[in-house]
Amino acid sequence: MKRITVIFALAGAMWCQNLSYEPDPNWQAPAEAATKANPLAKKAGVVGGGKKLFLRNCVECHGGDGGGLREKHSADLQLPVVQAQSDGALFWKITNGNPDRGMPSFSRLPELQRWQLVLYLRTLTASSGRE
Amino acid sequence: MRLRYLTAGIIIAALGCLLAAAQEAPYFVTYDHHMEEPGNLEIATSTTMGVPRSGQRFYFAPYAEFEYGVTGRWTSELYLEGQSTSGDSAVFTGWRWENRFRPLAREHFINPVLYVEYEGINEASRIQKEVVGNAPGFGEPNSELSQTHAHELETKLILSSNVHDWNIAENFIVEKNLSQSEGFEFGYSLGVARPLANLASAVDCRFCRENFTAGLELYGGLGSTRGFGLHDTAHYVAPVIAWQISDNASLRFSPAIGLTHESNPVLLRFGYSYEVRGFGDKVKRLFGGKP
Repeated sequence: MKRITVIFALAGAMWCQNLSYEPDPNWQAPAEAATKANPLAKKAGVVGGGKKLFLRNCVECHGGDGGGLREKHSADLQLPVVQAQSDGALFWKITNGNPDRGMPSFSRLPELQRWQLVLYLRTLTASSGRE
Repeated sequence: MRLRYLTAGIIIAALGCLLAAAQEAPYFVTYDHHMEEPGNLEIATSTTMGVPRSGQRFYFAPYAEFEYGVTGRWTSELYLEGQSTSGDSAVFTGWRWENRFRPLAREHFINPVLYVEYEGINEASRIQKEVVGNAPGFGEPNSELSQTHAHELETKLILSSNVHDWNIAENFIVEKNLSQSEGFEFGYSLGVARPLANLASAVDCRFCRENFTAGLELYGGLGSTRGFGLHDTAHYVAPVIAWQISDNASLRFSPAIGLTHESNPVLLRFGYSYEVRGFGDKVKRLFGGKP
């Protein structure tokens, strides 16, 4: 019974997940921004705050597990093409947004909170949020 | 009588909190470069209460805002406003439709936003969402003021920067009354604000410092093309504080202090806003469309 539940949960998540997500090739962080290191990288204790910020600001478009929502055409944050980006590049994208493609700028959040979000994004894997 | 109006104003503002609620910046007059998220609707209720000089009357001017993120770079907003003066009457003072456009897609050291607003108001309007031109008189009764209608076009150049978690915003205002020949009126607004904490805690808390943003506004009129300058103009300095009550709701408060004889000695401002996320998608679904 438990196995069937897990299979259905996975199937449901796959159905909603935006596996067809294609990154915008013009939305690239400048080299200087991409090489910035996360000042919170060694403070794993603050990732909980990042989760709270994610739930508050990102879930609506990216879904609870970060898998993206097909109807929103939003990025699947679990994909290697996202996770392979540097912390600095993710921070730059959160800060600037991509308003012409629907991603708002979150520069209104304090810098450290945006870095907290980057920390939390690193925890989003194919199994996260589907347990 | 004045105390009764003040009490009534506070009660109405508090009731507003139960109904509505998330403006990130704590400002009441100054705009920064942050736009409404596309598809989100923010419903807000705010109040300007004017504490008068001797010989003037206390007034209470509430207004409702409906702010919608049309795209990531275009925000549109509708205002409905009213006013009640002690010993006088309560009147509907009109509506405003504002649009803000952000020409640059990326964050820069200075981020410009272009603002255009059409106002269909009357001379009884007291919300003072901006202060321009020369200071208005407060002596005439509402019955007379509300009969004088004004169609106005207001433009602003908004410049805003984020520097180490501080927001610094400057607004330059030009207003034209299309109903009367008053020339072009000018005004300004400056604001600085900062969150009280820059790290988010893991717990879901209401009174954590991270939920509060504090700052200061300075705004006033600069005369008109008929007489540019500070003569006979109103200016205010106003501490501002915003409290993010929940993910969707925020409360703001600002006591503005008048700096010139033409200003009200004190303006008390309360605001409450509630963010309806994905409003545009919900409406599209309602009419059978795809989000």
